[in-house]
Amino acid sequence: MGLLSGSVTFVRYNVVGDIPQNFWDLASDQIKRFAFRDIDETYDEVSVGWVSVLNMFDAEFAYASFAAGDHICLTMRVDERKVSPKVLKKFCLKEEERIKKERQIPKISRGQRLEIKENMEMLLMKRAVPVPATYDLVWSLAENTVLFFSTNQKAQAQLEDFFKDTFGLLLSLDIPYTTAERLLSASELPALANISPAVLV
Amino acid sequence: MDLIELITEKRFIGQEFLTWLWFKSDERGGTVLLPVTGEDITLVFEKHMLLEFGEGDSHEKIVCTGLQAELKEARTGLRMGKKLEQARIHMIRGEYEWHMTIKASLMEFRSVRVPKTMDGADEGDSQEAVEGRLLDRIGLLEKVYKTFDELLGQFIKIRISDQWPGEADKLRNWIHHSDR
Repeated sequence: MGLLSGSVTFVRYNVVGDIPQNFWDLASDQIKRFAFRDIDETYDEVSVGWVSVLNMFDAEFAYASFAAGDHICLTMRVDERKVSPKVLKKFCLKEEERIKKERQIPKISRGQRLEIKENMEMLLMKRAVPVPATYDLVWSLAENTVLFFSTNQKAQAQLEDFFKDTFGLLLSLDIPYTTAERLLSASELPALANISPAVLV
Repeated sequence: MDLIELITEKRFIGQEFLTWLWFKSDERGGTVLLPVTGEDITLVFEKHMLLEFGEGDSHEKIVCTGLQAELKEARTGLRMGKKLEQARIHMIRGEYEWHMTIKASLMEFRSVRVPKTMDGADEGDSQEAVEGRLLDRIGLLEKVYKTFDELLGQFIKIRISDQWPGEADKLRNWIHHSDR
């Protein structure tokens, strides 16, 4: 459901604050600084970074490929190692059985059980293959709005944090009330704040 | 008020807007006038609607599907005080047409089918061609939300003015008497 798919889903954000002058240079540096770093060969649990909207393996942005007119088009890629709870449970039970047999004890203490769980989680996390997720965005510099191509709340929270880390600017989700605030003049805002739900039956 | 409170407290604005838009579209057989540009556009509510009622534990949702003329269940829902939260809309503006689902309380644009504007032959892989494709796509998406901004602006200006009691009467009348 990304920017270039046949059917797209998006929400709109407002960028809070003014964009500094020479923003393209700054943006280019910051995008490269916060570009996606692969964790396939490491044991990191999660990696968040920018990649090209055209290719999730392109984090180099040769020829400023994030620029389209006065828009910045980016994909936020999130790779995360996850261990399914069922798999974790299975490996914990297996290890408990092994220890009981080895030490010839009938029961495992609660403390030991927790320790086994921690160790198993670490071991399985290292073995897990990072699962990738990608979310596109289009930032219109002229209008200071961002279209974000996901309605997933976790992804939206991740975007808000990562956008702030990268560009030092806050994003504010556009809902009908805030859009209405923008569309009205200052003298009309008190009337907007005072309306209550209409009874239409 | 922070954003989370605003989303909860003011969710009725998006829902009333979508209901009003359905009424406006129905009033003129699927045509709506854009006030700023003075342009008539086609805006047809079709196939799928979601209405909701109540909050918290007593929150209810009903999904209605059917052809445009047969959304009787959705109209009955409105008569029972349910709020229109989501609708599938077919929009034609100028030479382009879109299909989309609008989620009213958060103004989410879902499953937007964007018109195809280029032939396969135009779709090269050069940097210029790719940028052109991106800009084309962005322009078509901007057109969608700008159209809805214009309509929301029209609604909200009426909603906060002394025209609203009269408009609300027309809306009530439509809710109670359409398709009977």
